[in-house]
Amino acid sequence: MRIDIITTYPPGKGSLNEYGFHFVRFLRTKTENVSEIILLVDELPEGEHYAFEEAPNLVPISARPCWKFNAPNNIFRILKAVRATKPDIVLFNIQFASFGSSKIPATLGLLIPWLVKLSGVKTTVLLHNIMDTINLDQAGFGGSRIMVGLIRFFGYVVTHFILAADLVAVTIPKYVEILEKKYHAHNVFLAPHGSFSEPDADIPVSVPSGPPNILTFGKFGTYKKVEVLVEAFELILQSHPTARLVIAGTDNPNVEGYLAGVREKYRHVPNIEFTGYVSEEQVPVIFGAAWAVVFPYTSTTGSSGVLHQAGGFGRAVVLPRLGDLEQLVIEEGYDGEFFEPEDAHSLKDAIIRVIDFPERMLEISSRNYLAANGVPITEVVDWYLFHFENLLSK
Amino acid sequence: MEMTAKISGSVAIATLKGRFDAHEVPAVAAWLQSSQQSGLVHILVNLEGVNFIDSTALSSLVSGLKHCREKGGDLYLCRLTQPVRVIFELTRLDNAFTIFPVEMDALVAFSTPC
Repeated sequence: MRIDIITTYPPGKGSLNEYGFHFVRFLRTKTENVSEIILLVDELPEGEHYAFEEAPNLVPISARPCWKFNAPNNIFRILKAVRATKPDIVLFNIQFASFGSSKIPATLGLLIPWLVKLSGVKTTVLLHNIMDTINLDQAGFGGSRIMVGLIRFFGYVVTHFILAADLVAVTIPKYVEILEKKYHAHNVFLAPHGSFSEPDADIPVSVPSGPPNILTFGKFGTYKKVEVLVEAFELILQSHPTARLVIAGTDNPNVEGYLAGVREKYRHVPNIEFTGYVSEEQVPVIFGAAWAVVFPYTSTTGSSGVLHQAGGFGRAVVLPRLGDLEQLVIEEGYDGEFFEPEDAHSLKDAIIRVIDFPERMLEISSRNYLAANGVPITEVVDWYLFHFENLLSK
Repeated sequence: MEMTAKISGSVAIATLKGRFDAHEVPAVAAWLQSSQQSGLVHILVNLEGVNFIDSTALSSLVSGLKHCREKGGDLYLCRLTQPVRVIFELTRLDNAFTIFPVEMDALVAFSTPC
């Protein structure tokens, strides 16, 4: 089968680029099922380009940049690209803000799966979050109550359009329940997120060398905010003066300049490193040095890829008591220390419970490693291929 | 989890009881692998006593199904309990597997030419 995938992909820096990268990495090994992969990706800044390893044992792949974050004409350009490439099946790797931070391009982009299906191509959407569980204020889409109400209404309508795809995959059981009960959907299925890394035979957990190293990783500024973490870190420095805080990642595209503002506000706090964008090669190094990976979230919009990454590298995690994350932790066998969101003292205590107690750190690390490597993404890709073949046989 | 294995004609059959999760997967995966290495590509997994199944366990069955089909065989399931059936429906893997109410139906299906 020939597959079009609408996704972000490195070196593109849009959200879900890493998931896109790892999904495609393993999809390319399925030469018995897949004859060609065409990525319909966002345009890169001048001077950057998409590149792929070529090998006879890998599915041929190409990238067709045909959309831009926040562009209102993505809908026409993507449809044109689908028509031109004539795939057997189209997969969307998206979340609600994949196509824009402005309401019109974001909404128009989410109509594309429905239009692709109308054009006669089998369509599957991997939807990483659902509107019903997003805290709009904290995700950067808030404003007045009327505006939030309007967005919720349009979110409801757009969700119906997304559900017009042949199949919709989600990574959290609760999402299936909501989509089936509230939207009366019959085409939704649960697919594990999958682990990005290859499992080792031995569980590679140990206390990293050097001073305590606290890591947070992601795209910050909307519901991932680091202020409380920095304040907790200030408290930790009182008892652990050599501790380091690594803030790895970039601004969320909705909140450009956020991290620069944090850096300025907390310039008096020592031992903080802002890494900026982390390349694929640097990801294992960053995680490997972390004593604790902290999730300073104020709300969550879906299953956390960072949690799966932290688990894949056998790291201990410190998580907020928030619905989706806590549910994911319990249901998927992860472990961690928890804190009350936006409470620096609670966060400090949770981090201390990890870095001062190596046995607890290793216990969490081991459990997370097993949980994250339970279903490698290569097996998740097989699940999708079963669903694709089933769709195509109808 | 308890696993009992037997061979009926050209079909390798495993009956599982209890909780089928990541910790139990290695035993089932090893049985699937050894069956396939012995040339048995018709596999039947009887889940009559399984009261919980997680994504890792599901994935091991998907992997077994894939390998059986690659070699011209199949992996059938039978006697799914209600909690296990719910998980198969949630993941829509009930569309990927052929599922029978009882073991005998699956054995008859294996012996019937397609």
